[in-house]
Amino acid sequence: MAQATTQTVSISIPEKSAFSWKNLWIALAIITVFEIAVNVYERTFAIAKGLDYFTPQYQTYWMSILYTELILEPTTLIALCSWLWVTRDRAMENLAPAEELRRYWNLGLFVVVYTVLLYWGASYYTEQDGTWHQTVIRDTDFTPSHIIEFYQSYPIYIIAGVGSMVYAMTRLPAYARAFSVPYAVLVGSPLMIFPNVGLNEFGHTRWFMEELFVAPLHWGFVMFGWGALAILGTWLQACPRVLELIKQVYYGKPATAPAVVLNEPEKVTKMELCEI
Amino acid sequence: MQQVAAEAEARALERKFDIVVLVSMFLAILSGFHIHQMLTAGDWSFWIDWKDRMWWPVVAPIMDITFPAACQAILWSKFKMPIGATFSCAGLFFGQWMNRYWNFWGWTHYPLNFVFPETLLPQAIVLDGVLMITNNFVLTALIGGELWGWLFYPSNWPMIAPYHVPVEYYGQLMSVADLIQYEYIRTSTPEYIRMVETGTMRSFAGGVLGVSAFFSGFCSVIMYFIWWYFGYFFGWTKFVKHSKV
Repeated sequence: MAQATTQTVSISIPEKSAFSWKNLWIALAIITVFEIAVNVYERTFAIAKGLDYFTPQYQTYWMSILYTELILEPTTLIALCSWLWVTRDRAMENLAPAEELRRYWNLGLFVVVYTVLLYWGASYYTEQDGTWHQTVIRDTDFTPSHIIEFYQSYPIYIIAGVGSMVYAMTRLPAYARAFSVPYAVLVGSPLMIFPNVGLNEFGHTRWFMEELFVAPLHWGFVMFGWGALAILGTWLQACPRVLELIKQVYYGKPATAPAVVLNEPEKVTKMELCEI
Repeated sequence: MQQVAAEAEARALERKFDIVVLVSMFLAILSGFHIHQMLTAGDWSFWIDWKDRMWWPVVAPIMDITFPAACQAILWSKFKMPIGATFSCAGLFFGQWMNRYWNFWGWTHYPLNFVFPETLLPQAIVLDGVLMITNNFVLTALIGGELWGWLFYPSNWPMIAPYHVPVEYYGQLMSVADLIQYEYIRTSTPEYIRMVETGTMRSFAGGVLGVSAFFSGFCSVIMYFIWWYFGYFFGWTKFVKHSKV
């Protein structure tokens, strides 16, 4: 990764390839192939092998998935965050504007990937569970649908969300010494949907089995789902800085120095910066 | 010449960031709204036999005006984009249909005319229109909120009316909707679970729907106010220093 060490007044315009969609397309292709594979697996083995928890087939075809993903997910999260931390920018006050702009672009693509995975987790697989509830009378908390919904799709979007936040904290001056409240809510609140499964499963196991989707037992998910609205504040906070950098890089206008942004990140969240 | 080229590149880059913002916003709001909707009004949305005259037109509008109001609070106030309600409702619609088609029908084979979702788009367009014309969220709450509740049933009626045709089934009067749920077995939704109008000794049978729509319009007004301010909260651009956490 190219590191600028000096602040210059005249700025060379970055290559167009610095703002390429390529990484996003690769990520979306991987996600799409993976999700199609998961759906095919569900359609192949949920009814054939996943109706009775107390059979050996269930252990082979479904519990093995659960154990595997429960090992892979925390490993991935730790590896990703460690790598982002070890390769962090240690001289952010010297960050060149073009490089900062490029990093905002990477962050933007990271957030898109996060929201795509959030869609699969919070919308697709969550309501999918609604129809599986109408297909079985469950004999375990670990139904095929729960193994995919709670223990696969939720952790995956959490990895992407936390990863994107660590990327911002280790690469961008605005996020390096302060927590962005909307970004923390955007990542943290849907993250809490996963721990809330604890309440949900306790309730269903100990309290009532029948599946009223609107039961108060489920409202914890609802409150944590609200946090997705913080995408509004996240972009409201980041966009003025992006436009300020574009104006600096392409029009040669002065912009707030990274050293200032590091210490006073709120300086670059003002809407006035968006005016031409 | 070089300056012109640089400006063109800058504008292209701004458009690219616009796409990133819009796509991520659409998906995030879709996900949050869908979770909220399915766990507060979902059961009425899933099944044709829950779409009654008393509870469905009360619960669905009240619970579904939430995200539209919050999105409007930011998109209109900060960007004068009059699409907050339609944007969020289109997202919800996408999430619901993807799931009803691929899962309710595609995986577990409930027919689509049993599990199609309600529509909110006509009311959402009205809500956005009222905000755009008045440029005033108080008036939008009062007028748009009432219209949101009133318009819900009329805009859904063309879809559900065919299922309210009566049939005689083994000597019993049933609607087609009742018959569909009777035929397509749901393991975890016995008939007594569903919350639909059953009649009371204190109600007048003819006035159910109008009263429900009026009540839900009134509650939607209140929800709109609350969620407009929620929108402000979620659009807060505050930073907190690491040392304070």
